[in-house]
Amino acid sequence: MQKYILRRVLQAIPLLWFISIVSFALIKLAPGDPVLSFVTPDMDAEAVERVRQSLGLDQPIYIQYWIWLKNVFMGNLGYSVSNHRPVLTLIVERLPATIGLMGSALLLSLIISIPLSMYAASRQNRPADRVLGLISYIGISIPSFWFGIMLIYLFAVKLNWLPSMGMRTIGVDSIWDIMKHGILPCTVLAFMNVSVYMRYIRSHTISQLEEDYVQIQYAYGATQGTVLRRHVLKNVLLPIITILGMSFPELIAGAFITESVFSWPGMGLLGINSVFSLDYPVIMGITMISSVMLVIGNLVADVLYGVVDPRIKTMG
Amino acid sequence: MKRKNIWITGLLSLLVLFMSACGNSSTPAQDPNSTSSTTAEGTGQPKDGGNIIIAVHEDPRVLNPLYSNDRVTLTINQSLFAPLYTIEDGGEKKFVLAESLTPSEDFLTYTLKLREGLTWHDGQSLTADDIVYTMNSILDEKQNSSQRGSFVFNGKPLTVKKVDDRTVEFVLPQSSASFEAMLATLKPIPEHVFEGGTDLEKSGKNSNPIGSGPFKFKEYRPGEYVTLERFDNYFGGKAHLDSVTYRIAKDPNAANLALQNGELNMRKIDPADHNKLNGTGKFNMVIYPEGRLNYMVYNFNIDALKKKEVRQAIGYALDKNELIATAYGSSEFAEPGTSIFTPDTQYQSADHEQYNYNADKAKEMLKAAGAENLKLRLAYANSNKIQEAQALVIQQKLKEVSIEVELMPLDSTAYSNMSLDPNNTKFDLSFNGYIMGVEPDAYKSLYLSDAAYNYSHYKNADLDKLWDQAAVEMDTAKRAELYKQIQQTIADDMVVYPIAFDKAIIAVDKRYGGLDEARPKPVFMFEDLSKLYLN
Repeated sequence: MQKYILRRVLQAIPLLWFISIVSFALIKLAPGDPVLSFVTPDMDAEAVERVRQSLGLDQPIYIQYWIWLKNVFMGNLGYSVSNHRPVLTLIVERLPATIGLMGSALLLSLIISIPLSMYAASRQNRPADRVLGLISYIGISIPSFWFGIMLIYLFAVKLNWLPSMGMRTIGVDSIWDIMKHGILPCTVLAFMNVSVYMRYIRSHTISQLEEDYVQIQYAYGATQGTVLRRHVLKNVLLPIITILGMSFPELIAGAFITESVFSWPGMGLLGINSVFSLDYPVIMGITMISSVMLVIGNLVADVLYGVVDPRIKTMG
Repeated sequence: MKRKNIWITGLLSLLVLFMSACGNSSTPAQDPNSTSSTTAEGTGQPKDGGNIIIAVHEDPRVLNPLYSNDRVTLTINQSLFAPLYTIEDGGEKKFVLAESLTPSEDFLTYTLKLREGLTWHDGQSLTADDIVYTMNSILDEKQNSSQRGSFVFNGKPLTVKKVDDRTVEFVLPQSSASFEAMLATLKPIPEHVFEGGTDLEKSGKNSNPIGSGPFKFKEYRPGEYVTLERFDNYFGGKAHLDSVTYRIAKDPNAANLALQNGELNMRKIDPADHNKLNGTGKFNMVIYPEGRLNYMVYNFNIDALKKKEVRQAIGYALDKNELIATAYGSSEFAEPGTSIFTPDTQYQSADHEQYNYNADKAKEMLKAAGAENLKLRLAYANSNKIQEAQALVIQQKLKEVSIEVELMPLDSTAYSNMSLDPNNTKFDLSFNGYIMGVEPDAYKSLYLSDAAYNYSHYKNADLDKLWDQAAVEMDTAKRAELYKQIQQTIADDMVVYPIAFDKAIIAVDKRYGGLDEARPKPVFMFEDLSKLYLN
């Protein structure tokens, strides 16, 4: 097992290196010049050039990449072009907010989607299945920003039950306050996730329900609930693990649109601001951390496959 | 799933939200409800205490006035750092940290006297040393302050020296009519905080700024808010409010809902949102000229636009009132643009051709210029609702004079980059806007032949000379005449088509008073938040 993990980690290094080159090139090829956000009409060409030099943007792109790569190996992700703070600090500041929101949304999504999709599968093509399918289609189709605004309008403005924005009330430091602020964005994310997960888990459950072992259980007199809980659920765990593996980068990168609508101070908001200000060190930092999480997520998923289903060998 | 597992899952869920709660913490914040605020509504009498939450759309960049260029940082710095003085609309000085500024007879030496007993937020005295340190830091090329250009004249920087603890002398290499206005933009930083630092822009001291304004720094939570609290030793008198919080609200629609919900108390809103918010009856709408010109740029790199008559004909084919009514929703939110100078700028004049709507004349001019059936590309930022509306109106109006307009909505960053490219030929017409302040000399950076911000790429050596003459002309009447000529030349050459002088709309919770005393101000929303109070 250790050898397998080590091999996968070593395999990931060239992949991450390749991702870093492509990301760096894409950012540099994008239209726009980050220096412009520092330029004022009072500045002459020399002053603009000094700003460019101070940001290291006067060098050819391969030199800029090399400097960035060298710094990364020394644990330095560079400095934000916008506010000159270390990228690592900016990311670490935002991580708890994002992990908290995305983690809660992911857990909530799984808690809701697993029983619902198994239930829908057991009622295949019946009214309950069709209703859940419709809800799922709606969830996939509606834009998250619209859904978020509607929730704010209803629960914050009309009913005045929940706060509409941010992560806390100014000057209030309590966990309950943060949880209250998290309810609406978490609901938006969970609804979107559930809609996707349900279709995925439902189709897998249907295929399991057609397996011989299920028919045998029924022949022994097991109820549908027992079959679903005790036998089918175990086999449905594989696609759930895949979902979890794929969700790892989201846990870190956050949700750009939802965090923006709710002004949730996470990585998504940091990312969207960085993209608009062409703050390439921050964009690179977020991209690389997300990529590392994707690699880790896939590795964990592969290892878990073997744990959940011993027939799958991970050592080979 | 067993019951125990459900509990474990629930606990995990709580744990991740708990992580959010634990992260990002800095100094403990005070509950605004625990302040000495009184909320007796409708009395209209200033009361001390309370907090105001002002919406800003992003985090501040560097809380150091030497580096503030963006609207959010400028707005926060306005309360943190006091200027030496300000220049009012009529051109008179209103002294703040300084009590006088006296020029020598040859206008080469300016003597600045500071008020007595000034202190920084940390209690240290604010003296002439701080002014000298600030100016020298700005002039130090290594510090990359965006203000340096304001104090360098024909390549030569001014020199500054301390006379005594309250007196500073600025010696200019040549006389400059704009110097007093430029010095008004200087906001001192404390020498005792920054001395010894090699890079002020990246200094960690900027994360706990020490200023001299009516509010001092209390807390910054990245991505969430910046809170300032009242500075009791402010020389201009204690502020009414206990604190001011600038809350980051990224999404404009959600921010408007938060405003209605009471989570925000003040926000600069779009004209399109005015009626809806005003209809709630919860807000005072402060509408004032923002000193901003919204204009259309002719690209002089394009052959079809090189003939003056063609540019003028396009001007006659457009109707400013219709453009304003469509783009702003009402003439209440903008006035027709009459000059390249905004009304608050000294020596603004409308004594030149205004190109009032006349489609027949436009057609005749186009025919005479041999430019019938033109095809032009009009670029605008795709995220800008006003520009989008203007583009549609212009497309329609120019069609009436047989000019076909292809609309080019562009990403704002790409748009800005293309506009600044001196060789740009990717579009023919585009929109832009600027706030340049009261000093007319500042505008030359948009119209000099080799200026980086010369969006039209218009070159006129005679006009360059006029700008240079006006910059050093100390006689007010002669200076006014020079700027009149400049405005006339640019209007006659139809370098840009001024569409509108924008007005800013600030929605303020009705519980807050003192809006007039706080004085609405372009960019910052209000000049002096110390005058605001809770009714």
